[in-house]
Amino acid sequence: MNRSGNWTRRFAVRGVFWRQYLDWATVNMPFYTYPVLHFFMTFFFFFFAAPARRIVLAHLAIILPGSSRAMNYLRVFRTFHNYSWTISEAAIHKLNKEEFAYEIIGARWLDQLGAAQGAIVLTAHMGNYDLGAALFAEKFNREIRLVRAPEPDEQTAEHVSASLEKSGEGAVKVDYNTAGALLSFDLLNALRLGEIVSLQGDLVAGELAEIRARLFGKEVRLPNGPFVLAQVSCAPIYPLFIARVGYRSYQIMVCEPIAVLRSGRDRAADIAQAVEKWGRVLERLLAERWDQWFAFAPGFLFDEPNR
Amino acid sequence: MNPTVNRDPRFYFSLPRFIALLRGGDTRRAESNAVEAWLVGLMMYLVHYLFFAHFSPSRLSPWLTALLVVLLAFWVWLFWLLLLYLNSLIIKLLRLGGLFRTIPIRRAQSILWGVCTTAMACALLEDSPWVREIGAIWLVAVALNLAAAVVLALSNATRPSGE
Repeated sequence: MNRSGNWTRRFAVRGVFWRQYLDWATVNMPFYTYPVLHFFMTFFFFFFAAPARRIVLAHLAIILPGSSRAMNYLRVFRTFHNYSWTISEAAIHKLNKEEFAYEIIGARWLDQLGAAQGAIVLTAHMGNYDLGAALFAEKFNREIRLVRAPEPDEQTAEHVSASLEKSGEGAVKVDYNTAGALLSFDLLNALRLGEIVSLQGDLVAGELAEIRARLFGKEVRLPNGPFVLAQVSCAPIYPLFIARVGYRSYQIMVCEPIAVLRSGRDRAADIAQAVEKWGRVLERLLAERWDQWFAFAPGFLFDEPNR
Repeated sequence: MNPTVNRDPRFYFSLPRFIALLRGGDTRRAESNAVEAWLVGLMMYLVHYLFFAHFSPSRLSPWLTALLVVLLAFWVWLFWLLLLYLNSLIIKLLRLGGLFRTIPIRRAQSILWGVCTTAMACALLEDSPWVREIGAIWLVAVALNLAAAVVLALSNATRPSGE
């Protein structure tokens, strides 16, 4: 991560300025100005966030094979537009404490997760995990540890962490996923103490360990860490996603837990089996909700535009 | 966050809240209505757009006109960002003077946005007939909304029981 020593870095697409501006605007903007302002802000970032645009375009090409490049550019715009609504609604929840509606798909699994003694929530860069974590903490009165991909800018990372912790009213603790081994031991310890750890399982951040999987008929990279952690700790993996379904309305989707076996000799085969199950869940979800997959950094495809 | 259940819709503006009162619905103010957000936001944008279009040169080639139409759309966006900032300064000053202290900043902003848009809608009344219609629709909506606000205030309908 870069400390924003250079003043201009604050204004980079992932710089802290935009996060602070969003907070300021959330406190100031009348709610009916959101539709118009979101549209134009999306336009602005669609042109200036070129690396993210290229990555989303590359993802769409494999999720929706056969679709034209021009149509996919419009889909990228739609994805960016959804992202602008999602992050602004997270800020509204954090700062204005406004009401949001949600529905749960897989309530049985969510209840099971809420009562679990040590579990891994495996999610994707999708929807609104600020709201999701806050909801989880509120509904089950439990702490949750969120592990995120590191932000390129240190001040942005500090801002995002503070936002998540504020949304979760102290019940959400944020860690950053870096290549060091310390965090792995920390998370293992947390799982053994019965805590819930939330990890993102759709992108490989930086130099982290990866595993090959097949999605949409193409070989892709997925992070290895969550599966190794589940195997070592014997904790189940709950696939969980939070998607925006309308104005201030969300859907929480929880799927059947994935167990990573420890059958003895071939641990890699056990992990591969769990990865395959996760891959199927992720594939189904991305096919349905491609417009809310906010994977703006490289780490999914082998031949990514920015690799 | 609340689980989705079939509840009465809630509104922000006084006119739909007054209609809700007549129909026995929920009259408490809320910012959760998507129809209100889109309708008022787009209407406001249209009034601002037409106001600035009024100042554009009229005898231009079709290409220049098309370019102007697009540029104006972005200019109105920049104007909104500027308006948001200027209003925030005005609200700071008003708060120093003891005004707008009990309502959230975004509601104070909403009042200032309403005043600014209404002034622009008045200016539209001197334009071509269909632009005049847009201005008139805005002014009638504002008038009805203010009347509904008075009725709601007098009826105590927005206060929770026992208050």
